[in-house]
Amino acid sequence: MLQEESDLSLIIAQIVQKLKGSNLYSQLERQAWASLQRPEIKLESLKEDIKEFFKISGWEKKLQNAVYGELSVFPLPSHPAAPPEHLKEPLVYMRKAQGSWEKRILKSLNSMCTELSIPLARKRPVGEQKELLNKWNEMGTDEPDLSLFRPVYAPKDFLEVLINLRNPNYENGDSLSFRTHLGLIQIPLKVKDIPELKECFVELGLNTGQLGIDDSTQVPPELFENEHVRIGQKVLAEQDSAAAQQYIRQGSPTALRAELWALILNISSEPEDVLYYEQLKTNVIQHDLLVDSLIYKDVKLTASNDDYYFVFEDYLYQVLLCFSRDTSVLSHFAYNSASPPKSYIRGKLGLEEYAVFYPPNGVIPFHGFSMYVAPLCFLYHEPSKLYQIFREMYVRFFFRLHSISSHPSGIVSLCLLFETLLQTYLPQLFYHLREIGAQPLRISFKWMVRAFSGYLATDQLLLLWDRILGYNSLEILAVLAAAVFAFRAVNLMEVTSLAAAEAVLADLSTLKVMPLLQIFLFATVT
Amino acid sequence: MAGKVKWVTDIEKSVLINNFEKRGWVQVTENEDWNFYWMSVQTIRNVFSVETGYRLSDDQIVNHFPNHYELTRKDLMVKNIKRYRKELEKEGSPLAEKDENGKYLYLDFVPVTYMLPADYNLFVEEFRKSPSSTWIMKPCGKAQGKGIFLINKLSQIKKWSRDSKTSSFVSQSNKEAYVISLYINNPLLIGGRKFDLRLYVLVSTYRPLRCYMYKLGFCRFCTVKYTPSTSELDNMFVHLTNVAIQKHGDDYNHIHGGKWMVSNLRLYLESTRGKEVTSKLFDEIHWIIVQSLKAVAVNASPSLTSSTANDRILKYNLINDTLNIVVPNGEIPDCKWNKSPPKEVLGNYEILYDEELAQGDGADRELRSRQGQSQGPRAGRSRDSGRTVLTTWK
Repeated sequence: MLQEESDLSLIIAQIVQKLKGSNLYSQLERQAWASLQRPEIKLESLKEDIKEFFKISGWEKKLQNAVYGELSVFPLPSHPAAPPEHLKEPLVYMRKAQGSWEKRILKSLNSMCTELSIPLARKRPVGEQKELLNKWNEMGTDEPDLSLFRPVYAPKDFLEVLINLRNPNYENGDSLSFRTHLGLIQIPLKVKDIPELKECFVELGLNTGQLGIDDSTQVPPELFENEHVRIGQKVLAEQDSAAAQQYIRQGSPTALRAELWALILNISSEPEDVLYYEQLKTNVIQHDLLVDSLIYKDVKLTASNDDYYFVFEDYLYQVLLCFSRDTSVLSHFAYNSASPPKSYIRGKLGLEEYAVFYPPNGVIPFHGFSMYVAPLCFLYHEPSKLYQIFREMYVRFFFRLHSISSHPSGIVSLCLLFETLLQTYLPQLFYHLREIGAQPLRISFKWMVRAFSGYLATDQLLLLWDRILGYNSLEILAVLAAAVFAFRAVNLMEVTSLAAAEAVLADLSTLKVMPLLQIFLFATVT
Repeated sequence: MAGKVKWVTDIEKSVLINNFEKRGWVQVTENEDWNFYWMSVQTIRNVFSVETGYRLSDDQIVNHFPNHYELTRKDLMVKNIKRYRKELEKEGSPLAEKDENGKYLYLDFVPVTYMLPADYNLFVEEFRKSPSSTWIMKPCGKAQGKGIFLINKLSQIKKWSRDSKTSSFVSQSNKEAYVISLYINNPLLIGGRKFDLRLYVLVSTYRPLRCYMYKLGFCRFCTVKYTPSTSELDNMFVHLTNVAIQKHGDDYNHIHGGKWMVSNLRLYLESTRGKEVTSKLFDEIHWIIVQSLKAVAVNASPSLTSSTANDRILKYNLINDTLNIVVPNGEIPDCKWNKSPPKEVLGNYEILYDEELAQGDGADRELRSRQGQSQGPRAGRSRDSGRTVLTTWK
């Protein structure tokens, strides 16, 4: 009991510390001062009266939402004396692996730099600045020569690193047994099985209404949809983050989704936020970064060729170029196993006073990175709001998909969860695919790294991301990947090569996500 | 079992021929006894022209109504709609109601348009009322964006001023005839780009009017960002969305061809603007289509050229569903067969309007439900069929 209490007070202290530096804090202070004018505030009961005022005026709700937001990313309670590295990642071997991976990436970036004789960063001449400002809304028409640029890495390179991960304290023994994990990931992390997943995702059960299933044309809207929409509107009126998160587990109506996501992510577009975005835009205009070319290349290779997202090409540049320069993103490295790459001013290698993070936000984009932003363009068309939403989605979820950690939503756990589900519940399929050299993870990895963006139809993808927000977890990606394999099992049993297996799973654009998940979790005999 | 359907076509496109062959239909020549003739526009003109006096027999179907050009030629379409509106007004139909400024409440879906050179003087009068406006010139008989240009000065159409003065009794050469409309320079933009809608509507009979809309229509985007700036009036890549034009732009993408399915558009609009506004938009689009058809009783040739792989699949399925509706059960056509096709046969079509079903209620009912569309719950779905738009119009 005592331990829990002191854990709690530690968490409270840390959150208070965090929020003290925020905009909300100064707003609350101002409001408190202003409220002294009000007749109902009496000196004798000052504290209670101000608290009551906050409750009635909705400010308490805003504070609640902010605290709730902080809790979503708060690292799991740990020993009070744990050093900061442990908040990033508790397991030493994982930290080491992430460190070497980062070194490789940086080396690759630096050598590209040297080969092409392009500086990592340079100030733009005034003429070029003017030109870029004029073209800000149509950077897609720019055709810089990108042929010499290569993405720094692609998902499959990252997969190879994960495959070679080993826990040095774990001795598996050479002999195969029924416990042997047949997949590519050989790390003993705890993952959920179907009974545990059923408990976790209880709102996806057969007896609960879902958007994505119970709003189809054959179902009369009075049965579920109308009521669900009504509740959604109520949640929005209350502006309650926690309620929104609970609500969205059953999916969000299209018309309410933009607001609901903003509420859950605790994004409100204050003038300061718009100003901040404009400042980032100015940074883009003034300085050119090498990563900009990587971003251009990525957008041109992926989003521009996508049936759904090609329309938003220009928005993607406007978001991603600013994102690279946003130093506020650096704060998420406190709970990310990754660390921002450090670079040194020319000629001052190794001198800490001349060290800078590169890129300024510490995130080096890889092939497919722009697909994290693309689906959001369907919801937000105002650049600074779109930017804020993306940034928050990144620091809450997406960063876990390309860093090595033991977190249950980290990509390593997701891969292991996927493989374990397949091996346990579809053993015949798993064995067959393994025999023909088509390890399932080799196909599903790219889906999970991109959170299925670009693979599913947009409306289906948004229904999936609703649940990511609702459950504050990425595990649903692994479950969906397994469900897709289960769905196409009959065809997969007949293939005899990796290429043929890829072909069976090449087109996911017709899949309906919610029925697949529901059947896999709740209607399959376990 | 009756004999196999005999088909002819003078358009060598795989999306057509594959569909005929998969039904086991028999290809014949036009001189032989045929049941189904998919004609090009040229052939239709010849077949139905007064001189040839060709008459179809009871077991023959073609893919165009004889008066299709009443809707596809731009000048005729405008004339028909204007005439239709006047007729309704004369009848005292509530559909023709106007507001205090003289604008039609329910039938205002064509921008101010004049025929050139015939209405040149009327046009000049209108032009002078708002001299900073932009107008769009479209040749009457052409398609695929050919010959279209924008003007904002009278001097740019000097040519038609001369023609109007000299040719009071000389019949106008059809090639020179243009329509000029007020250009709408604040179109809805997505991703900063202008787009138009390509919707497929099948009219199986005019009396009673039975038409179907293909659910998988699509939007065509311009590759260049839209700007109302007058300096870009000449840049057709900004203003015209026809694929035939956009195809030649530098940024044209051959994978997706600058197109979006209408369902995407709907998702985007619902997400960013809300459900009511989006439903209203689509209702109004359907309304315009039905009213236009009524104004005429029939775009002559949708492009059957496929620009991308997805496009090919779409057009194949479109023709497939079309054939299922007009030649039901693959039986030899009989023009006396007049029943509505069962809903299983519709495929990706949905009923846009079925006059027989709507009959007996008259224009009043139509109007009342039209007025009630923006308020109140819509019974937009019936249990047994797919989403039919028309339940409120009956």
